[in-house]
Amino acid sequence: MAHPSQLGFQDAASPVMEELLHFHDHTLMIVFLISTLVLYIIVAMVTTKLTNKFILDSQEIEIIWTLLPAMILILIALPSLRILYLMDEINDPHLTIKAMGHQWYWSYEYTDYEDLGFDSYMVPTQDLNPGQFRLLETDHRMVIPVDSPIRVLVSADDVLHSWAVPSLGIKMDAVPGRLNQTAFITSRPGVFYGQCSEICGANHSFMPIVVEAVPLEHFENWSSLMLEDA
Amino acid sequence: MRKSSAVTKIAVQADSPKLNYKEKDRGSTAMAGEEAAGQNKGFKLLGILDVQRTPCAREAILHGAGGSVAAGMLYFLATSRVRRSFDVGFAGFMLTTLGSWFYCRINNAKLRVQQRVIQEGMRNKVVYEGTVLDPTNKPNAEAPPGPP
Repeated sequence: MAHPSQLGFQDAASPVMEELLHFHDHTLMIVFLISTLVLYIIVAMVTTKLTNKFILDSQEIEIIWTLLPAMILILIALPSLRILYLMDEINDPHLTIKAMGHQWYWSYEYTDYEDLGFDSYMVPTQDLNPGQFRLLETDHRMVIPVDSPIRVLVSADDVLHSWAVPSLGIKMDAVPGRLNQTAFITSRPGVFYGQCSEICGANHSFMPIVVEAVPLEHFENWSSLMLEDA
Repeated sequence: MRKSSAVTKIAVQADSPKLNYKEKDRGSTAMAGEEAAGQNKGFKLLGILDVQRTPCAREAILHGAGGSVAAGMLYFLATSRVRRSFDVGFAGFMLTTLGSWFYCRINNAKLRVQQRVIQEGMRNKVVYEGTVLDPTNKPNAEAPPGPP
């Protein structure tokens, strides 16, 4: 989750998010250099004593300020397109989970092998245990096996919602009557938090998402437990 | 409310005693982020570039600063033109920073690819150890033939 006063991204928990972080660093360095150049030019223009009231054009500088931005844009666009298509790859998921948005909670269905489903409501602030996070904890988490490709089918029951988990690099709109598909792999076990990202009513801010990545053995124990209880 | 009765609602307790997986009180992401935030606030150039947390940024900026000073000083010593020396120094900063940045990032990307290959190999070693697919198996006369 994000820590207080955080401005940057959360630590990556999936390969796609790692790539996004690297692309962000690359683009930010370019932006930093452009900003430094502009600042330097402003200072130079303000402090120069040289003036030429009759200048009309200059082929050299015009060539430079045409070609240089074009090269910068290509430097940014190529990695961006690579990651864009990388994010669309879905490589033989091991598990498919349906995430349905409701007002104002999420429900998850694991129907690959047996019928399993549960609702995930936010834990109210007054019911939190020490160490839990306000407005982020839920009563039931979406448990997944670590290091396994997971497909998530996102839809909604009533109004628009959006299923987002920043540390996994995922955001997918939940549209009533439409199934949107996304896939991810978690690189490490842990608990990853997200929040609904499409305005959906009074409690839009109070329907968080919690994904818990556990080793496969623990996931099998968890799913066996639930099937036995069923 | 679920409309279909075919799907069974199960009350899943994340902290069920039967679930052996022990989670930390705070997620690994939060723990790592909070510890890092507490120990190292980060230094942002122009308020945007965190040179301490961004890989290769610190080295690129330092190389750029060194290149800038070197280029500016050399030009000034050669021509004694102050203003133009600043311009040359700034150009040196841009070029050195860019060059150092891309060189470091390319090497970083190659290392990450190698890291992923090694991780995949380690994972496969555990899975395939002792089978015909184990790459460390040496063929011998007594070994039974593999599957057709």
